Amino acid sequence: MSTTAGDALLSVRDLVTEFPIRAGVFRREVGRVQAVSGVSFDLMANETLGVVGESGCGKTTLGRSLLRLVPPTSGQVMLGDRDITTAGRQDLRELRREIQMVFQDPYASLNPRIPVRDIIGEPMRIHGVPKEEAADRVSDLLTRVGLLPEHGNRYPHEFSGGQRQRIGIARSLALRPKVIVLDEPVSALDVSIQAQVLNLLDEVQEEFNLSYIFIAHDLSVVRHTSDRVAVMYLGRIVEIGPRPSIYEQPSHPYTHSLLSAVPIADPRRERARRRILLQGDVPSPASPPPGCRFHTRCPIATDICRTEVPKLREVPGGQQVACHHPLAPGETLVDITSR
Amino acid sequence: MTEPVLVVEGLNVGFPSKAGVVQAVSDVSFELHAGEVLAVVGESGSGKSVSALTLMRLHAKSTRISGRAVFEGRDLLTLSDRDMRSVRGNDIAMIFQDPMTALNPVFSVGSQIIEAIRTHRDVSKQAARARAIELLDLVGVPEPRRRVDQFPHEYSGGMRQRAMIAMAIANEPKVLIADEPTTALDVTVQAQVMEVLRDVQEATGSAMLLITHDLGLVAGTADRVQVMYASRLVETGGVDDIFYGSRNPYTRALLDSIPDLVSDTDRLVPIPGNPPSLLNPPSGCPFRPRCSMATDTCAESVPNLTTVGDGHATRCHHADLLVTEGAS
Repeated sequence: MSTTAGDALLSVRDLVTEFPIRAGVFRREVGRVQAVSGVSFDLMANETLGVVGESGCGKTTLGRSLLRLVPPTSGQVMLGDRDITTAGRQDLRELRREIQMVFQDPYASLNPRIPVRDIIGEPMRIHGVPKEEAADRVSDLLTRVGLLPEHGNRYPHEFSGGQRQRIGIARSLALRPKVIVLDEPVSALDVSIQAQVLNLLDEVQEEFNLSYIFIAHDLSVVRHTSDRVAVMYLGRIVEIGPRPSIYEQPSHPYTHSLLSAVPIADPRRERARRRILLQGDVPSPASPPPGCRFHTRCPIATDICRTEVPKLREVPGGQQVACHHPLAPGETLVDITSR
Repeated sequence: MTEPVLVVEGLNVGFPSKAGVVQAVSDVSFELHAGEVLAVVGESGSGKSVSALTLMRLHAKSTRISGRAVFEGRDLLTLSDRDMRSVRGNDIAMIFQDPMTALNPVFSVGSQIIEAIRTHRDVSKQAARARAIELLDLVGVPEPRRRVDQFPHEYSGGMRQRAMIAMAIANEPKVLIADEPTTALDVTVQAQVMEVLRDVQEATGSAMLLITHDLGLVAGTADRVQVMYASRLVETGGVDDIFYGSRNPYTRALLDSIPDLVSDTDRLVPIPGNPPSLLNPPSGCPFRPRCSMATDTCAESVPNLTTVGDGHATRCHHADLLVTEGAS
């Protein structure tokens, strides 16, 4: 996936999103946290790009920046030939018809005081869809996500977590967008319900020709849903590429240790596993380490890693990796560290 | 097998509410042996945490409890509050899911560990402090001498969970109850904390009751597994029995519904519907409305927990139809 922006539906270039750190009586700005530090990628039509990383890696801020729910500090988010980051009010509203979001917490993301019909219909009201057409579409959407049209008259508290997430999905579909940013869409749900919602997302993607940005911390879920995967660490993409490359031949030491840390629901496999235990925690995004941000926890870091920021470049496995010492296909960290 | 350290028999826990009694735990019996990890798996509301809290007697006054939980010849459920206090944190200790709410924010980590020690042991402050530093070192908190005087907010999530483990093992408990000990943590930190937990459990020879919804964690940690659904134990057995030779449709459906890290799955097989209300559970088997094998028999009675192999029991009317070749 070299960066030929020609056929990309959404292309993100050098996106930076900062939050001010304020202190004192006058809430003076005393510093900045760079939650997203120069992220670039393309999203093709009908594809799902998974974004994985641990808490604080900037994946949620990235998702929100794409819709300008938080204002990016610099960089571009091109939807077709229009830049979301610089669009005026009216243009932004038009652009948001085409890019929608589903949030993590189905308990917090639905207004408890209005009936479901109005929750799903609200985007259409804002965007001036005629009332009757909107009402029909709400009923269709409710049916499509596995609820009944009469459920529209009920309030969010009358639904279970899984059903609420179906409502959130129906709302995101209301304006017939091209892109949906899914921010941890199943992590608040019980395992038996997660599969229902994941299958639903699969079905509507095909039916409505959607592209997804699927943000999650669960690497198994991302493997199941994504065509391509971006791995983030402290605000940067450290590895991005086709799913098989990332999961079967990870090249960045972080991706490698992340995959090795995920427990597998298979006792025999677990017993046979050799884990790479990373030392320490993720450093604070307010003061990221210089050079490669992963060097403080990386088992194979050298001097260059402490001073020079590695750039994303193509490796033999077919993915792009930001690492001074990328692993060759088939090579594992266990081999290297036990050498 | 050795004498069990804890024997739970016919545990029932109900919460009275305006709408009636919510039966959170129904007829749960099990034994816990020294040195083993027994995992309790289930979804939210299945009763796994409530049963653990009840064993620790950390439930509300209005809770209706029956059954027995015998530890060293004494029934924990009928001990006086005073006697229970000498057991809690001493013989039986608990690790909670969220270390930020389980630690007291206004006391230093060290003083909380020292308190845990001095509540049960007649030792000097200095000796307890030395022990606290030793414990922090054991669970992998760096610079324990300095860290011992820091407050919980100065610790990261993973470090807090380590501090809580240090506190829990301070008195070398015979039983360690870990309620979703790593759910709040990132995977790389989770792997570190589980390693610590396994190491200290091995070193002290205590028994661990690991409560979790994460089947991956169970596969990598547990010796035996109990699966709970709608307040009941539905299957119990060795970890391989459960993962490769389950004789229960719920266990099987749960295993089938999770996406796999190591292979590509085209379509997931979800469990249809939602878990039942514990206020008005369905008649017969509680899993019946969601079960692909359900028949009329399943509506008539709750199946008994029936032994189907060595240490392997299941609660299903149709367990005979679920014999697999894959069992170890």
